[in-house]
Amino acid sequence: MTRSLGVTLNALGLYAIALVLAGAFAAQLLLDELPCPLCLLQRCLFALLATGPFLNVRYGPRPGHYALALLTACAGAAVAARQILLHIAPGDPGYGSAVLGYHFYTWAFIGFAAAIVLTAIVLLFEGQFQGDGVARPVGFFMRGAVWLIIVLTALNVISAFVECGSSACPDNPTTYELLRPSS
Amino acid sequence: MEFTALFLSVVAVLAVSWWGSRRLALALFTIALIGSAATYFHHATDVLKLSF
Repeated sequence: MTRSLGVTLNALGLYAIALVLAGAFAAQLLLDELPCPLCLLQRCLFALLATGPFLNVRYGPRPGHYALALLTACAGAAVAARQILLHIAPGDPGYGSAVLGYHFYTWAFIGFAAAIVLTAIVLLFEGQFQGDGVARPVGFFMRGAVWLIIVLTALNVISAFVECGSSACPDNPTTYELLRPSS
Repeated sequence: MEFTALFLSVVAVLAVSWWGSRRLALALFTIALIGSAATYFHHATDVLKLSF
């Protein structure tokens, strides 16, 4: 695998992360379901997962950059697994709506697990690490992925602030704190 | 509030990864990951209702 192909695969990974972040946002707005603290943490870790690919696209692929993605994906999978276990008991309806039979945290676990497996597979191809590690100009396709992730993460800053306000986020949020009518 | 701060820290990590220095990006990434772990332990207080 050449450096160029490695960078392109990383850009595709960024678009996949952007799709996850956009899907979570769409569900929040269209289904009017507020994300719980663990759901927000999973979103946050999906956004942080983009750090490795960001560095790979900018400086060229390095094993250390992939390590960042693996660490983040492991943390995300652990958070999603905990939320699955919270709702695993018989009769528990789970948190939020199910999409294609699975709740969002189950999809998140699948997403993080897929990220771990795919990152490990891409790491096998050492030809991509032959570059000089110097930042090079990137094209519109890659810049688009970068901007998409940054904008979606910035929108999550606003969303989390509107939902939680200036206090700790409730475990089971039912309304946006900043939009709650003052009594 | 903690999630607003956490998302802000991730925006900072991503922005520095793209426009700033690699070393600073790695430092900010470490802080964001530790912050995520701390937030997880702050919220992971419910007892798991497992039967085994």
